[in-house]
Amino acid sequence: MIRVRNLKKEFRVHRKEPGLIASIRSLFVREHIVKHALKGVSFEVGEGEILGLVGANGAGKTTLVKILSGIIHPSGGEVSVLDHDPWKREDDFRSRIALIMGQKAQLWWDLPAADCFLLLKEIYRIPDGQYRDTLANLCDMLKVSGEINFQIRRLSLGERMKMELIAALLHRPRVVFLDEPTIGLDLSAQRAIRDFLLQYREEHKPAMILTSHYMEDIERLCERILIIRDGEFVYDGALDRVVRHYANHKILTAHLKRWPEEERAAAVARLQGEVLEAGRDQVRVKVDREDVTRCAQQLLSEWPVVDLNIEEVDIGTVIERIFNEKGKVPA
Amino acid sequence: MRYLRLYLYFLRFSFSRAMEFRLDFWFRIVMDVVFYVVQIIFFSVLYNHTSVLGGWEFPQVLVFICGFFLIDALHMTVFANNMWWLPILVNKGDLDYYLVRPVSSLFFLSLRDFAANSFVNILVASGLMAWALLSYPDALGGLRIGTYLLLLLNGTILYYVMHIAFLIPVFWLHSNRGLGDIFFAMTRYSERPDRIFKGYVRRTLLTILPFSLISSLPARVLFEGLKPELLLHALGVTALLFVGMTLFWKRALRAYASASS
Repeated sequence: MIRVRNLKKEFRVHRKEPGLIASIRSLFVREHIVKHALKGVSFEVGEGEILGLVGANGAGKTTLVKILSGIIHPSGGEVSVLDHDPWKREDDFRSRIALIMGQKAQLWWDLPAADCFLLLKEIYRIPDGQYRDTLANLCDMLKVSGEINFQIRRLSLGERMKMELIAALLHRPRVVFLDEPTIGLDLSAQRAIRDFLLQYREEHKPAMILTSHYMEDIERLCERILIIRDGEFVYDGALDRVVRHYANHKILTAHLKRWPEEERAAAVARLQGEVLEAGRDQVRVKVDREDVTRCAQQLLSEWPVVDLNIEEVDIGTVIERIFNEKGKVPA
Repeated sequence: MRYLRLYLYFLRFSFSRAMEFRLDFWFRIVMDVVFYVVQIIFFSVLYNHTSVLGGWEFPQVLVFICGFFLIDALHMTVFANNMWWLPILVNKGDLDYYLVRPVSSLFFLSLRDFAANSFVNILVASGLMAWALLSYPDALGGLRIGTYLLLLLNGTILYYVMHIAFLIPVFWLHSNRGLGDIFFAMTRYSERPDRIFKGYVRRTLLTILPFSLISSLPARVLFEGLKPELLLHALGVTALLFVGMTLFWKRALRAYASASS
């Protein structure tokens, strides 16, 4: 449904030194630099797939989403979304996509959501029956049937985001672009929106591209991720594969009964893995994935363990490590 | 028909919102009535010193300025709020949602905000126009008045086309105050009879920057009789500028950079 080949986007930006003299000089002579927001990226997204787009601020995620939705023009390359060139902005294309931006509202602030939905019904030429069914279904899924007649500005941030989702999906789009849809929401609202997106994907099978700084969004929703760094993709593949590659270990934490110091020192020396902490009440060990069972058995048999916890490395930490590295992530 | 239905939604939404701001509602009416009175006094003072200005006597100028009031009230009600917002939306990168909808972005951005609190001014301006026409000493005839009203409508569209054409450079310039100020300074030309200008200034005001076609030429058609070449000229210039402005808009959208999130 989405096919991108060698996509490039450059912005020409005026660079100015600080200070009044530099400001006056810039009236006559300007220095421009070309910023390469996208440096020839290629990928595809199929029906029913949710692709996670992960990158630091300024990496090029939003630029990519805006090119795919036809808002800005690319500087080079090929893009096909639903067999259309997005920047031609044909009505058939725009009738079949949706864009949701967590940081920008599309609904009229002073009006009830129900009024805004009616306008969208007209814009997207949604037949009466389909409109009623879809609206009822979406309100039901997001549990906001009682709120659609209140002015948007009277709703909580979470409720407003749910209304934005309804507004974006009323016309049953085949491609959905989600740019940080859970930003600023509390945990329960985030969870509700993730559950809703999964359910919506299950029922309607659209292609979805999701950008988010919340790793939980990516973990819950995306089987496949694209990691973008300085306008280039450094990884395209399954989330668990990149986690395995960068975090080929787990952390074992055992809470202990008190036991003699000299016995503990001897047991520490025998432990498999890298001991991160060995206190009187707790021991933490970093162990290769394949040695986790053995190490856990050793702890349980040789140490006075009260409770044992096995942790995966935080995905956010893994991604942050990739952002800060050079070169591509090995396939 | 779909665009008409969409416009009815815009009207409905705009009226719902306007009723919430009662003080602003009355303030706008008072402000515009003051503007009308000042203009009428201005021409009354001029005609104390001369009986003819640009070939027109006072009753003719009264019809002419009431024609301009009507165009101004229509522009303020239908387009002005949208024109005010456009540079802000462009600079803040807030055109995004307008560009992904399967509707003409130009239609949406030009008409979405109907200034319902200026609506009463259309009624006031229409009343003044009726008064000026009724107090006109000679018989004008239904056909001439009908053509005059059609040309005033054409003048309203021309006013909008020129206004937005002066705003579109914001896509490249980012600050549009200079051009906006030039536009408003030039609208003064549409508040004066075209015959007071001579030579290339007059030719410019009738062609390239056709501010005299907004309300002066319609008034001339009303007083001097129907001339097909004048009618064709007024409608032709509007059509050409409209097409040019649409192409300019499309070109500008290519330069739209949105804003990073």
